[in-house]
Amino acid sequence: MNQLDLFIDRVLSAAKAAGIDPAEVRCSESSDFSAEAMEGSIDSYEVSNTRSLSLRGVYNGRMGGASTEVFDEDAIAMLVRGVQESASLVESKEQDEIFPGEKEYPSLEIPQNDLDTVSAEEKLAFCLEMEKAATAIDPRVSKSMGAYVSTSVGASRLANSYGLRLSRQVPPGGMAMAGVYLMGRDGESTATDGEMKTGRQFHAFDPVEIGRSAAENTLARLNASPVSTGVYRTVLRWDAMRSLLATFAGIFSAESAQQKLSLLAGREGEVIAAPCVTLIDDPLLPGGVASTPYDAEGSAARTKAVIEDGTLRTLLHNRKTARKQGVETTGNASGGATGPVHVSPTNLFLKPGVKSLPELLEQLDDGLLITELSGLHAGANPISGDFSLIAKGFLVVNGRQDRPVEQITVAGNFYQLLKDIRDVGADLEFRGRAIGCPSVDVGTLPVSGAK
Amino acid sequence: MLNRNIASEVLAEATRTGGDFAEIFLEDKRSHALRLRSGEIETVTSDRVHGAGVRVLNGTKAIYVYTNDTSREGLMRCAAEAAAAIRAGAGCKPIGFSHWSAARPDEIRLHPEQVKAAAKAEKLRAVDAAARAVSPEIVQVVANYVDSAQDVLIANTEGVFVTDTRVRSRLGVSAVASDSRENQTGSASPGASMGFELFDERVDPEASGRTAAEMAHTMLHADSCPAGIYPVVIDSGFGGVIFHEACGHSLEATSVAYGLSEFSGKLGQPIASPCVSAVDDGTIRNEWGSVHIDDEGMPTTRLTLIDHGVLVNYMIDKLGGRRMNMAPTGSGRRESYRWAPTSRMRNTYICAGEDDEAEIIATMGTGLYAKSMGGGSVNPATGEFNFAVNEGYWVEGGKIVRPVRGASLIGKGGEVLQRIDRVGRQVVLAAGMCGSSSGSIPVTVGQPMIRVSSLTVGGK
Repeated sequence: MNQLDLFIDRVLSAAKAAGIDPAEVRCSESSDFSAEAMEGSIDSYEVSNTRSLSLRGVYNGRMGGASTEVFDEDAIAMLVRGVQESASLVESKEQDEIFPGEKEYPSLEIPQNDLDTVSAEEKLAFCLEMEKAATAIDPRVSKSMGAYVSTSVGASRLANSYGLRLSRQVPPGGMAMAGVYLMGRDGESTATDGEMKTGRQFHAFDPVEIGRSAAENTLARLNASPVSTGVYRTVLRWDAMRSLLATFAGIFSAESAQQKLSLLAGREGEVIAAPCVTLIDDPLLPGGVASTPYDAEGSAARTKAVIEDGTLRTLLHNRKTARKQGVETTGNASGGATGPVHVSPTNLFLKPGVKSLPELLEQLDDGLLITELSGLHAGANPISGDFSLIAKGFLVVNGRQDRPVEQITVAGNFYQLLKDIRDVGADLEFRGRAIGCPSVDVGTLPVSGAK
Repeated sequence: MLNRNIASEVLAEATRTGGDFAEIFLEDKRSHALRLRSGEIETVTSDRVHGAGVRVLNGTKAIYVYTNDTSREGLMRCAAEAAAAIRAGAGCKPIGFSHWSAARPDEIRLHPEQVKAAAKAEKLRAVDAAARAVSPEIVQVVANYVDSAQDVLIANTEGVFVTDTRVRSRLGVSAVASDSRENQTGSASPGASMGFELFDERVDPEASGRTAAEMAHTMLHADSCPAGIYPVVIDSGFGGVIFHEACGHSLEATSVAYGLSEFSGKLGQPIASPCVSAVDDGTIRNEWGSVHIDDEGMPTTRLTLIDHGVLVNYMIDKLGGRRMNMAPTGSGRRESYRWAPTSRMRNTYICAGEDDEAEIIATMGTGLYAKSMGGGSVNPATGEFNFAVNEGYWVEGGKIVRPVRGASLIGKGGEVLQRIDRVGRQVVLAAGMCGSSSGSIPVTVGQPMIRVSSLTVGGK
């Protein structure tokens, strides 16, 4: 038993002695490294080792919670006082419970990594080489906005007064990222773009290849201009579709539905999307960043289709939302360290179809390929589903990618968009995130651009 | 928080291999948050953030190592790790500390740590009742209260050894109106560098609840906003987010130093219409984005950014100053010890102009009156920005004709600044959180009512 496990036991004993019973402790630890090269020299370098701990528990029949980054006797006393105070005020009738634990948990495949074998020197050399490669391709894209490498390994523990002791890696197998961003200039035109890769095998990254790809992406964005205001046949590339799905993922939460913040409340079994749409939440996905054998309440994780061939099969549940609706939890509890348990997807993705991106564009004929949506925290309303977002991409002419487009907005409603999807591509990408998408033909969208 | 001898030892270790500057940032922050949802207090939490970061510079190379372990051993480990990454350099001779406290306890009348949580909960109940009274179509009200007290200690090899306490309190309201087919939201979130006296001196919880609920209710009954290029009037207060996004970020050393900002190399040149002057002022007593010292230990300043259209200052942190060969402006900020400091805004606003607010709308012709803005973002390299209009009204022939929803504003910062043709007389400030490369920090935005002669309006 290491020091941290002993500390967790001391917190649980102190809680019990103070009348907090049952009680639960979460603890997370993380070791991170990041470095960035700028204009030929290492510009920033960050190393950290951090940990935090939270306690929640039932005191006088009510749940309270508190957290700390200090690991001493005073901190235990502060945690206990914090939980008592919080429990005395909370008045929600629907109380969370502390789940004693399952008999069994699914086993999770932990990807192998080589992160221990990479020295800081090697990572710094990689940044410099990647930046050099990127800026040497074309004089129009010779200005670096930074070439970086980062690695992260972490762990989390869940322990409760019923004797449950769980631990997992976060993310499983750790994670490395490498990328470079460039600023391009051609006459009056300025554009920024780049490339990034993620994975567990640092030695599989090729600095020259990432650099070249960053330069090509940035070159392609130069001399972009708006299109005329109008309605366009539109394909959202995987990254643009992913940012839209990430923004609206909350509508699939039973918690949102029960709070009237999702229009999907009570619509299980109904057709809510086009027949080509299948949306999967898979906590056991090999290599997924959000992969985990158990959720935040300690329920066993399991794979499920949220939308299957256009039909809403289930919303995502924790124990409380499931109890309220008379169903089983889907193992999607999140949060809850000091406040209420919420609901979140794990690895959430649109099941890929068979067509490549060029094939999707071919069947588009004339229209737009959107590659980037921004301002999602401002221009998208996760409750109504309405969005009006600044977009970048390319004009599509005769089924082929044509000139770059910028300074336009695309508008729509996510609920309607799900129904309007005409085709789902084969190019599913996660790129280091928990949400993944292939490119998607979304039918038509209104675009605001030049007069 | 930290003994001076240990601080000296840590800084010596950090510069052992040739670093020409080293700094320790130590913090202990206690925060207290309450949330009301569906008319009930849902959560009450107390959190404690505690840790330290050691930064070593060698020229413009920066190493940052941080940890929760603030014991002598923990800090020495950070220093040694940072020193190992520097390897060679000009080195430095640490100057003896001149110890001072920047804290101004007289600014806080009711320290939040001395106020019972039950009193905080009462404010949320008042918000809820006032919001629900606006209309039966208000189906949900979420009200948040949060206060924090952050003790910091900053020591560096240039003799700085300074402590400060930052106390902040804020209310947040989000109201949802629904006609069972559609939902719309409205919000209000006032805050200040104050304790619980916030509610005696500045913030009426009932007024905040009503504001959020009325916005949601109005937008529920609004038509979609027409898309196209139109004159746009942006109201005072949080409307200042346009300046924050479209211009402020591009004046931070983070973007300027590398020539990555559209305003790089433009000091002394006109970058805005002559009716525009703007400041970044960290000195306003009790304001949400104010600080006594920045997170590099430098006393805060009031900085004129634009004077009658002419760019006069950038916002510069220590490292940015080295890159630009210019003096820091007290603009080094960070969310916590988990972030190295960089150049950031404080209270940033467009100064009062000379135009009459009623005339500004009466003479605009057909376009959008953006009464309440949502958040936005910007690419400092190109100046491209976008932000949402939370509460908008359509104007025809200088008359407000109907509320419109779903509008967003997009453009390029430099172009918009040149197209401001009216600046009103009444400056209003509003609290916000700004996320950037040193984390999420409290900032204030603000302006009087302004008019942009033409702007791309996204809608349907």
